[in-house]
Amino acid sequence: MTTQNSAGGPFSGVRVLEVADEKGQWCGKLLADLGADVIKIEPPGGESTRTVGPFYQDSFGPERSLSFWHYNTSKRGVTLDLASEDGRGLFRKLAAGADVVVETLAPGCMASLGLGYDDLKALNPRIIVCSITPFGQTGPWRDYLTSDLLHLSVGGQMGSCGYDDVPDAPPIAPGGGQAWHMGGHYACMAITAALIHRGNTGAGQYVDVSVHESCALTTEGAMASWIYNGKTMIRQTGRHAGVAPTAPTQTLCKDGKYVNIQLLAFRLSPAQVRQLGEWMDRYGMAGDLLDDKYQDTAVIQEQADHISEAVRSFINNMTRDEVYEGAQEMGFSWGAVRAHDELPDDGQLNDRGFWVQVEHPDLGETFTYPGPAAIWSDSPWGISRRAPRIGEHNEEILCGELGLSRAELSVLAESGVV
Amino acid sequence: MTQTQAQTRTQPRPLDGCRIVDFTWVRAGPWATRWLGALGAQVIKIEWPLREFGRAGGAAGAPPGITPTLNTGGNFNDTNANKMSLSLNVRSPRGMEIIRRLISVSDAVVENYSASVLENWGLGYEELKKLREDIVYVSMSGFGHSGRHKHYTTFGPSAQALSGMTFASGLPGKPPAGWGWSYLDDSGGMYIAFYTLAALFHRQTTGRGQHVDMGQMIMGATLNGSALLDVTINGRSSTREGYPPGNRAHWPGAPLASGYRGRTVAPHNSYRTLGGGYNDWCTIACFSDEEWRNLVCLMGSPDWATDPSLATLQGRLENQEAMDERIEAWTLTLEKYDLMHKCQAAGVRAMPVQSNEDRAEHDPQLRERGLLREVEHPELGTWRMQNAPFVLSESPAVNHRHAPLIGQDNEEIITGILGMSREELVSGYSDGTFWPDSLDLYPYQKELLQ
Repeated sequence: MTTQNSAGGPFSGVRVLEVADEKGQWCGKLLADLGADVIKIEPPGGESTRTVGPFYQDSFGPERSLSFWHYNTSKRGVTLDLASEDGRGLFRKLAAGADVVVETLAPGCMASLGLGYDDLKALNPRIIVCSITPFGQTGPWRDYLTSDLLHLSVGGQMGSCGYDDVPDAPPIAPGGGQAWHMGGHYACMAITAALIHRGNTGAGQYVDVSVHESCALTTEGAMASWIYNGKTMIRQTGRHAGVAPTAPTQTLCKDGKYVNIQLLAFRLSPAQVRQLGEWMDRYGMAGDLLDDKYQDTAVIQEQADHISEAVRSFINNMTRDEVYEGAQEMGFSWGAVRAHDELPDDGQLNDRGFWVQVEHPDLGETFTYPGPAAIWSDSPWGISRRAPRIGEHNEEILCGELGLSRAELSVLAESGVV
Repeated sequence: MTQTQAQTRTQPRPLDGCRIVDFTWVRAGPWATRWLGALGAQVIKIEWPLREFGRAGGAAGAPPGITPTLNTGGNFNDTNANKMSLSLNVRSPRGMEIIRRLISVSDAVVENYSASVLENWGLGYEELKKLREDIVYVSMSGFGHSGRHKHYTTFGPSAQALSGMTFASGLPGKPPAGWGWSYLDDSGGMYIAFYTLAALFHRQTTGRGQHVDMGQMIMGATLNGSALLDVTINGRSSTREGYPPGNRAHWPGAPLASGYRGRTVAPHNSYRTLGGGYNDWCTIACFSDEEWRNLVCLMGSPDWATDPSLATLQGRLENQEAMDERIEAWTLTLEKYDLMHKCQAAGVRAMPVQSNEDRAEHDPQLRERGLLREVEHPELGTWRMQNAPFVLSESPAVNHRHAPLIGQDNEEIITGILGMSREELVSGYSDGTFWPDSLDLYPYQKELLQ
């Protein structure tokens, strides 16, 4: 395990102001762990996402949300009441020196506070303002209320996910807060494109991201299936939805766990059938797959169901990891269906330095956090600090940078501005 | 208002002047580079018709009435918009020489092959740097280019299984429902596009290129939300009673624990609606007592709903089975869009389950925002294509071109960008550099050679 430092990330030197709940905190984290100086602006008392579980040691508290910890690494935190003129004034001062603002308030809300793109542009022509909202700033549904579940419903995810072998099962929305991830990924793309554009031209701009559209774009070929072929999707257990039923891929192993296999038996080459047969033979379960008749493509195609059945029955009698690792060593892209708690023991993740140690000095503890999707050779990813405590950097930023005296900060705190 | 295509085409784009050599295939990589193309990059897709997996067939292949060829795949057209195509045998000495020349005048190389492919071609990062010192190289293999399992491979479903994502989808006590598509191809594509942009931005500010080495399975592991910290910090296993809790935030009867989707509330589920069709479902979630009271009022305040046992969150969590049954009896009386509008007007969060057809035909929000806009294709005709889910006010992302016909841009790339002679172009078609002997040329290729 390694502790990485984000000092050299690709966004080093980029200052981001984040006024965001669950819709924008992932975007902010992705930028912060890649080196951006993200200042999270929270209402006095803390952002609403601090009260989302799970909680540290299962006991509630705004400084104990593991969800907040996860989504707010590498950021600094300042509290400002944007409903007060004092708070707005301080926000304007921060915006004058910022590169990017990420905000997730309801459409029009920032403008009604006098903090819309046009207001901020007047202070800082180079600023990039990115709004991430459920439906974007325009359109008939723009004011509708949503949630992660609701986005996966209307965005099309549930239309493709579910069961074909469980009676009365509903369409299923996969977990993990994916709607916010999808919106965050597109927001990061758009913000980075805007930063490059600013590097080329000097001009900032306004970015309007729709979570609904981001989700609607994230169902692989489903949209094209309708547009080009007029086909809707059939939900199938543990595998791709199809325009027509396809063979199961999720297969039960003898230890009660599942492996995801891609076995299009009719496409196997004679060499692959031989390979499978030899593998199965090591456990005395080759059946007739080593028979020379399978060295003929025509026979393989004709006997595809039989071959599938033989392999499935072999898998049923093996442990999941025997199947996963054995198949991968032979070049089959099969995957073990793993629970979250199995990931910390994964050798490959450990070899890649995936897990990082993050200090929580206030708790006197160091915890293991999930790390980066990629290794960057010249601008390393890293978690520079744990999520900020409420108002943790008020003095550092409001006094240290904006020049408030500690007495002024105290007065503002007294009246609930910070 | 959403800008029209005509307006946006005249505006500058962020990646104007940026050239990308695109070795991507299947879905994740091509989905990434089509957005880089929309943002203005000149994306050159390197293809060889004998090893082509994306152009042919499938459910979203050629539309009815159009002969399936390498150029008429519908899904391919959408996935590969905004690119140029160079048909080139990179495994021939001449082909390799051409690709090396092309890389030397390009800004980025993007690929999603297995870990050793480019290295084996002699195009690993160290070699790429010799061709162009500040090259940006972004790769996404299954497990990354280092580590004990770097030779393992994935496709979307196996990466989803390994990363914990498949397990996190389904009903408790049932096999995982998993993902009905390759989510890690879509989101992998997003990461590739974002990381390519970030590396280009880094180069803009420092002058230095780099290798960004991503693994699809590892990328998936970053998308588990707070579930991993619940493991590493709280020691809670997700192999537990009541997890995953279907569409609910919590499965009644199981010990209370976060479902990693947000707040633990009820109601929070999907319900059948009038019509009884396969996709006649609506989701409803109440995030406060007030939202619940709004729903009760909308349902006409029936006795079961005003029962004090449901007035509290705790009561609603405990009594979900009976409550959800009653709610569904009501939702079955309304059509799903009508239900959504009525709920939203009453301050209740509700959204219909939408199929692909619904999103394309029945979603006024997507229509108003112009998510699907028509682009003409020389062989397929005019079709709706998926647009960016964001509006960049000054430098928009625009679908400016259909997916290229295979090898459609060989002349422009070989004689234009690389400045080679027409003789060299023509001879490459007879020596197997630009097209295999075993395949007939398409009419536009024959025309080129006349």
